[in-house]
Amino acid sequence: MLYAIVFLPLLGALIAGFFGRLLGDRGAQVVTCGFMLVSMVLGWIAFQDVALAGNARTVELFTWLSSGDLQASWALKFDTLTAVMVIVVTTVSAMVHVYSIGYMSHDHSIPRFMAYLSFFTFAMLMLVTADNLIQMFFGWEGVGVASYLLIGFWFHKPTANAAAIKAFLVNRVGDFGFALGIFGTFLLFDTIHLDTIFQMVASKQNVSISFLGGEFHALTVLCLLLFIGAMGKSAQLGLHTWLPDAMEGPTPVSALIHAATMVTAGVFMVARLSPMMEYSETALAVITIVGAATAFFAATIGMTQTDIKRVIAYSTCSQLGYMFFALGVSAYSAAIFHLMTHAFFKALLFLGAGSVIHAMSDEQDMRKMGGIYRKIPFTYAMMWIGSLALAGVPFFAGFYSKDMILEAAYAAQSNLGYFAFWMGIAAALMTAFYSWRLLIVTFHGSPRASAEVMSHVHESPLVMTIPLLVLAVGAVFAGWLGYNTFVGDGMDAFWGSAILVLEGHNTVKAAHHVPTWVKLLPIFVGIAGIALAYWIYMLRPGTADKIVAAFRPVCSFFLNKWYFDELYDWLFVRPALRLGRIFWKTGDGDIIDGYGPDGVSAAARFLAGRAAVLQSGYVYHYAFAMLIGVVVILSWYLIFHGG
Amino acid sequence: MIQALVFYLFATVTVLSAVMVVTSRNPVHSVLFLILAFFNAAALFLLMGAEFIAMMLVVVYVGAVAVLFLFVVMMLDINFTALRQGFQTYLPIGLLIGVVLFVEILISLGAWSIGPEMIAAASAPTPAPADVSNTKAIGKLLYTQYVLLFQISGLILLVAMIGAIVLTLRQRPGVLRQTISEQVSRRPADVVSLVDVNKGEGV
Amino acid sequence: MMTTTLPVMMPAMAEIFLAAAGMALLMYGVFTQRDGQSEGTAWGTIVAMLVAAGLVIIYGGPVAGEPAFYGQFATGHFTQFAKVLILVGAAVAVWMSVRYMRAESSNRFEFPVLVLFATIGMLVMVSANDLIALYMGIELQSLSLYVIASIRRDSLRATEAGLKYFVLGAVSSGMLLYACSLIYGFSGTTQFAGLATVLTGEATPLGLIVGLVFLISGLAFKISAVPFHMWTPDVYEGAPTPVTALFAVAPKIAAVCLILRTMMGPFGGLIADWQQVITLISIASMVLGAIAAIQQTNLKRLMAYSSIGHMGFALVGVAAGNQAGAQAVLIYMAIYLFMNVGTFAVILSMRKEGRYVENIADLAGLNKSHPLMALAMLIFMFSMAGIPPLAGFFSKWYVFFAAIEAGLFGLAVIGVLASVVGAFYYIRIIKVMYFDEAEAPLDSKISREMRIIMGFTAVVSLLFFILPAPVVDQAAAAAQTLFTN
Repeated sequence: MLYAIVFLPLLGALIAGFFGRLLGDRGAQVVTCGFMLVSMVLGWIAFQDVALAGNARTVELFTWLSSGDLQASWALKFDTLTAVMVIVVTTVSAMVHVYSIGYMSHDHSIPRFMAYLSFFTFAMLMLVTADNLIQMFFGWEGVGVASYLLIGFWFHKPTANAAAIKAFLVNRVGDFGFALGIFGTFLLFDTIHLDTIFQMVASKQNVSISFLGGEFHALTVLCLLLFIGAMGKSAQLGLHTWLPDAMEGPTPVSALIHAATMVTAGVFMVARLSPMMEYSETALAVITIVGAATAFFAATIGMTQTDIKRVIAYSTCSQLGYMFFALGVSAYSAAIFHLMTHAFFKALLFLGAGSVIHAMSDEQDMRKMGGIYRKIPFTYAMMWIGSLALAGVPFFAGFYSKDMILEAAYAAQSNLGYFAFWMGIAAALMTAFYSWRLLIVTFHGSPRASAEVMSHVHESPLVMTIPLLVLAVGAVFAGWLGYNTFVGDGMDAFWGSAILVLEGHNTVKAAHHVPTWVKLLPIFVGIAGIALAYWIYMLRPGTADKIVAAFRPVCSFFLNKWYFDELYDWLFVRPALRLGRIFWKTGDGDIIDGYGPDGVSAAARFLAGRAAVLQSGYVYHYAFAMLIGVVVILSWYLIFHGG
Repeated sequence: MIQALVFYLFATVTVLSAVMVVTSRNPVHSVLFLILAFFNAAALFLLMGAEFIAMMLVVVYVGAVAVLFLFVVMMLDINFTALRQGFQTYLPIGLLIGVVLFVEILISLGAWSIGPEMIAAASAPTPAPADVSNTKAIGKLLYTQYVLLFQISGLILLVAMIGAIVLTLRQRPGVLRQTISEQVSRRPADVVSLVDVNKGEGV
Repeated sequence: MMTTTLPVMMPAMAEIFLAAAGMALLMYGVFTQRDGQSEGTAWGTIVAMLVAAGLVIIYGGPVAGEPAFYGQFATGHFTQFAKVLILVGAAVAVWMSVRYMRAESSNRFEFPVLVLFATIGMLVMVSANDLIALYMGIELQSLSLYVIASIRRDSLRATEAGLKYFVLGAVSSGMLLYACSLIYGFSGTTQFAGLATVLTGEATPLGLIVGLVFLISGLAFKISAVPFHMWTPDVYEGAPTPVTALFAVAPKIAAVCLILRTMMGPFGGLIADWQQVITLISIASMVLGAIAAIQQTNLKRLMAYSSIGHMGFALVGVAAGNQAGAQAVLIYMAIYLFMNVGTFAVILSMRKEGRYVENIADLAGLNKSHPLMALAMLIFMFSMAGIPPLAGFFSKWYVFFAAIEAGLFGLAVIGVLASVVGAFYYIRIIKVMYFDEAEAPLDSKISREMRIIMGFTAVVSLLFFILPAPVVDQAAAAAQTLFTN
């Protein structure tokens, strides 16, 4: 059964991918959706068995790599953490598969799309069931490739192409950290098998490694490297620039990959490695700061964007920030809890947005919508549910998990915890604000679209609305149902050994005893945000422009995404070019390249030009280069080694 | 004493003529200096008691290679002044590299010393000089100890030959050739036919 | 009268057989030569190479007792592994050339014979157990390759490429000879076994180090490592494509294995000295390979830079200087062979209206006209970029691991960075194939052998991760022999 969960999507992908022409569109849809739904049902059964009944286990497929000390097998590790991820992935994925039947109905290459989706699901499942780091890295790269293919699915759009390449390259920077982290882990533990590592962590907690002349706490270095990987995948501050651009992909893709599953892989990875993270205060502190900063930063941008999908994308970024600072204060269970609830309501919002876009004849700009709530009442209701959950309005899913995170941050009783708490509160206010801004601007007011578009506005077909309904049920009840088991009294029994929290770090327990004002504040700011948005956009429609005019510098700062793309250009690309002129050979430009994701192509092209000049075609130039090479190596040797 | 004197004489001439090979303006002079350098090198070998190699040097390098060079240089119409144009621009950097390399090698050679294990290692494959003549010693080694290398040299020469043919031999169509075997094997019956021709008619 | 026994020759059975076969095929070619009928020799060469591979497996193993050719010819698991790779690579290159040469009407029967002789040179290089044998092997291989590079003597590009290759090759040969004489002068022996006992790493004379640097430089030329790489792009571009395919594979494997054996064997005691030199060359190659490839428009030039980069990665394993490093290098070369052969099969299948084309832009729209070929190319490119789970990821993985085990963190970090940057141009090719519109599609017909080669290598690259054991275990056994004696 466990095999089937993971491999059914792969089977579906293979069938749809290779026999797509034979099967036709309908056949490919039936095959992939069918397999996915079966996988989902099995996933829920496995959840019942593994998480609720406490039968955590690892099933080995076969030995895979064996060279010297490096041993690895293909194995499926099913414990509570995995089981939770499996239900999230399979459920959201199954819904997105079904939804895609309707959404992509006008597309020309449906089998290809379905195959990619299923392949993505397989890679994601591989990632969450990995029992060793290499297998995890496999899934990690697999979802990266799938995401590249899916973002660039509409390859006739140049922006989609650029976005796909950007996503891929930025992710490579993160992967580079992850890969180094794995190397380092092997170096320290002589194994990459997760369970073995976790047993040995306590004995290695005081080991330090020397690198480049300095002594560093080994576990801290490893955790930070691994966290860089997580930052790339989960679009945290600094490596977030690809996520909004990734919205060029089809909307179901955004829902599946860039909201519910792939971007949460970083959160999962950190939680999975909680036994390592726990021993490094520094790494936890970094995670907290980055998470809190991202939560705040992305929310500010979300308030000013006009593209409906980009608003939700920044919202995703912000919510991921919440999860990360929860991880940082050791509230792993709260983070995973939020991950789950977020998956439901954010997928709901995305698919709802997709439904709106579908209805508006592929219009994504909110400024050209408005006044359509009567025409698509069902979608409107779904968006309301999603937004209520996102804003943390009581008794919706987001309320339980987000409050838990904020309380845990407060309960950490450290400066960092308070910092994260207040950033989170501020972000919560903004979240509520932009959610309702989105709702009001999109659905209310006078129609701003052309009459022709308006006349075509229609409710989506059943095949699209049913997945919305399923996700809406999750968005409403997931928090209420899961609260006790995930973070309440039942949590110890539920999580078992899947995550490790050291004594004194147990913020989730402490979170139940925070002052009442801490518990009430998130609700209050949520409602305040909603009220503010209602006042500005509904009651006094002109106010928004006045505010923008009054605070022009701030607003344009937010609107331009804190000038991050420009900053990268200024910080990495230009100096790379300048340095490149002087030291192109030394590789400085190259290193900077590697870090300046946006500048990779520009700077490298320049360096390549320089290299081409040297490649003159004259034999004596080449011979000279060889001789100079010998002399340089020899002189270097004689000077530095003195014979 | 005399041996040392003679050595330095030949060595100096060798080096000087090598310099002239590179620097002289007339290519024919260059080749002639090259021949001079070969002769002196052969003399140096003689001084060491390696008479076989000395003779080989004269026979092969002077007798064959250098003369071939001479032919080539004289037959090809190469504009050497044009070839030298880059010389001036690259002279400084070339000199710099040369000098640096030279100094470095000098430094390293300065530390040269012969350890006893080296002498033992170096003399291991060779028979004692007193026992056999120069040529015989080489022959013995070449066809036993170094037979592999000898055979590979043969292959290298074969490849060189094939290469030369592949790259230069052109079979032009329409060129008349004499093929002795065809001429010899021609029989009248194959090529001559007797025809009875009636009067007043053509063939 | 002195009696001498014949030297032990059985371990060199494959080489002897190839040499005999080469001469026989040459005769056959000369006597059956009619206008452009070289296919007989080509097939004969392929068969001879495969037979030789079999002989290597049977006879080329470790020898008990008297060493072959008085200790000048080393055999063992290591040489077996390397030789089989070389023979397979060369045979496939000849196979790929048959149709091309016919189409370009430049099929000369000498071509396969020369490839065969070059292959003998490579085998001798791998087995060389003496500085002279090393040099001889290299010369035999290089001389044949110079001729092969300009085999299309009517093409200006090809002759220019051949000439450049020859002149620069002569410079590198000079360096090698100079190195050998210095090493001999400072150690008193040319035999690898003798060198290993003399060179213990203590009080190494400076001249020996100078010789070592020259030796590494001369060998680095053969694998086109920076700064001895300049010939590569020009020669790759100028030579006929099947020749480029050969250049990219077999000589590289031979030279890398030779470097590996020389560094680990006779100069193993001097690891502290050569490790830095190799590291330097490796970094320079990786960086240049990653950067310079970006602006190329010609696929063969791109492959040249790609191979420069790959050699840099392989040298990472050499620099590690441990058993894991040697194993990693062997795995790297094996996977490199498959990826490269596959890629060249794709390049050789690119034709427009019967003419061979070789620009990246010509790949545009490949996904539409040849979906399977595009898929194969996608696999090769992702694999070369080192993206899991493809084979290329593992090859890089192993070398970086070895470097880390040897404590070369900086090298590993730079290597990973270079692979990240390098991924860019591989992905650009994929973008062109999948996302760009074609002006004129490629010819639809792809020959059977190309389809077989592409399919097989793509499957190997794709599924290597499922069962890496055969290659990895063999490489492990091979690497072990370098360190036991």
